[in-house]
Amino acid sequence: MLRRPLLLLLLLAGCSKGPQADLQYISSARSLAGEWALVNEQANQGHLTHAYVKTMRQSIRQQLQTNAQSLTEPKSGYGSEIGALLREPDDAPPAALRVHATNLKHVEDSLESA
Amino acid sequence: MSRTALNPLELTLGIMTAVGGFVDISQLVFSGQAGSMFGYSLISAFAISTIGIMVYGEMCGRVAAVAHQPLFSLMRHRLGLKLGLVTLVASVLSTLVTTAAEIGGLGMILNHLTGAPYMLMCVASTLALMASMWILPFKWIERTYGLLGLFMIVFVVALVAMHPPWGKMAGGLVPQVPHGLSNKQLLNYSYFVVAIFSAVMFPYEAFFYSSGGIEEGWKPKQLLTNRVTSIVGMGLGSLLSIAVLALAALLFAPTDVAPQMPGSVALQTAIPFGKLGLLAALLGMLFAVGGAAVETCMANAYSISQFFGWEWGRHKKPWEAPRFTIAWIVMMLLALAIVLTGVEVMKLVGYAVVFSIVVLPLSYLPLMLLADDKSYMREYANKWLAKILGWLFFVIVTVAAIAAIPLYVLTAGGQG
Repeated sequence: MLRRPLLLLLLLAGCSKGPQADLQYISSARSLAGEWALVNEQANQGHLTHAYVKTMRQSIRQQLQTNAQSLTEPKSGYGSEIGALLREPDDAPPAALRVHATNLKHVEDSLESA
Repeated sequence: MSRTALNPLELTLGIMTAVGGFVDISQLVFSGQAGSMFGYSLISAFAISTIGIMVYGEMCGRVAAVAHQPLFSLMRHRLGLKLGLVTLVASVLSTLVTTAAEIGGLGMILNHLTGAPYMLMCVASTLALMASMWILPFKWIERTYGLLGLFMIVFVVALVAMHPPWGKMAGGLVPQVPHGLSNKQLLNYSYFVVAIFSAVMFPYEAFFYSSGGIEEGWKPKQLLTNRVTSIVGMGLGSLLSIAVLALAALLFAPTDVAPQMPGSVALQTAIPFGKLGLLAALLGMLFAVGGAAVETCMANAYSISQFFGWEWGRHKKPWEAPRFTIAWIVMMLLALAIVLTGVEVMKLVGYAVVFSIVVLPLSYLPLMLLADDKSYMREYANKWLAKILGWLFFVIVTVAAIAAIPLYVLTAGGQG
């Protein structure tokens, strides 16, 4: 009895496009920006090893690139924000990275309440 | 999870091994994300699922000691050939994905430790795991990874050093749904509950535990020692995951960080303790995840060998149980092949928990039936408490199994 609505739900979840479908990538990018800021903050205080800092920055950048490529609307405002985040240098100031995280959080909140 | 402890030293070693061997890559990832997204409220999911794995772990050990029956031999007899075979295939696939997730996790941790390329580290760690499985006897495979995994205690020390709100943490032990969640957040919360249950109660733990009991030639007189070792060890092991969750609630939640990579979890100890804390965390994670990779791989070899009635066991020389040996080598290489396709570790972790919870009810049902059966178990059959808890957790994991895939799709694996 529940199989049809469930299948329909799964189909809709799998095929959706636009900002709502991009929400997961926006959330992920927002969190990655925060992680990057934390890594740089701790690195500046000498709390992390060189290998860790280098590889974490690489992994974060890689994940961000995957997120940017997965967007169904890459030319949107949030697409530009993720692009701007990707253009930051590896050792960008934590405050600058947190600005990107905050901007993405605003987009996320507005999409969630829509 | 160690089981043989005949004196206080053995008992202590057994408990320490169980503590260090409790955590795996999925628990690390989900603890970190759960804490940062939902504060302390999901501590209850860890606490309840830990009681579940204690119940089934104790049952596995008892059945192994009294009936000397491994789990997959039971499955074939209790579920019949067809359903048994379906369970075997589903279980082998889900455990294989779990092994791949552990190997991917190892590659990432070694990448952060050494700076060497991720793929190279995946290959190197797989070879190191295989060498240890070939060389070490069963008990020392468990102990090496379990005891070195104790480096993870640095997470508990970091938590104490950060002076968390203990009252709020204790409040997290009460099952609850946090107030004010949107529908989307509610779905995410439900997904995390299911994922935590799956990550703590992975079916491979039962296969490995049950087979290990037979490997070590357990007798009924060792049941009390086994019970103490597994219950105390798993309970303390679960504290490591809870510490990761609480640290995430303290350090990540205020900045809206939901750790996207296993390496981020290690930041939690660098914040209070600097480089030493970071290194201890990475080493602890390395051995805990390495131990899980070995256990998942061997669990698959045990399952296949027991189902088809082949010679099996690490107490035999590799060439004395050739099909068992080939099975674990093939499983490890297949898992590595999955990782080398370039699939993301976090995706593998998500698939591992979802597939595993679907298999859980069928894995534990034959165990429950046999543990209840007085003709096999005599005076050691389940008493009222084991019966109530066993069936209660069976209902819980069945509901979780039904909900797992829809929740995974609807929440995009907890991200949506």
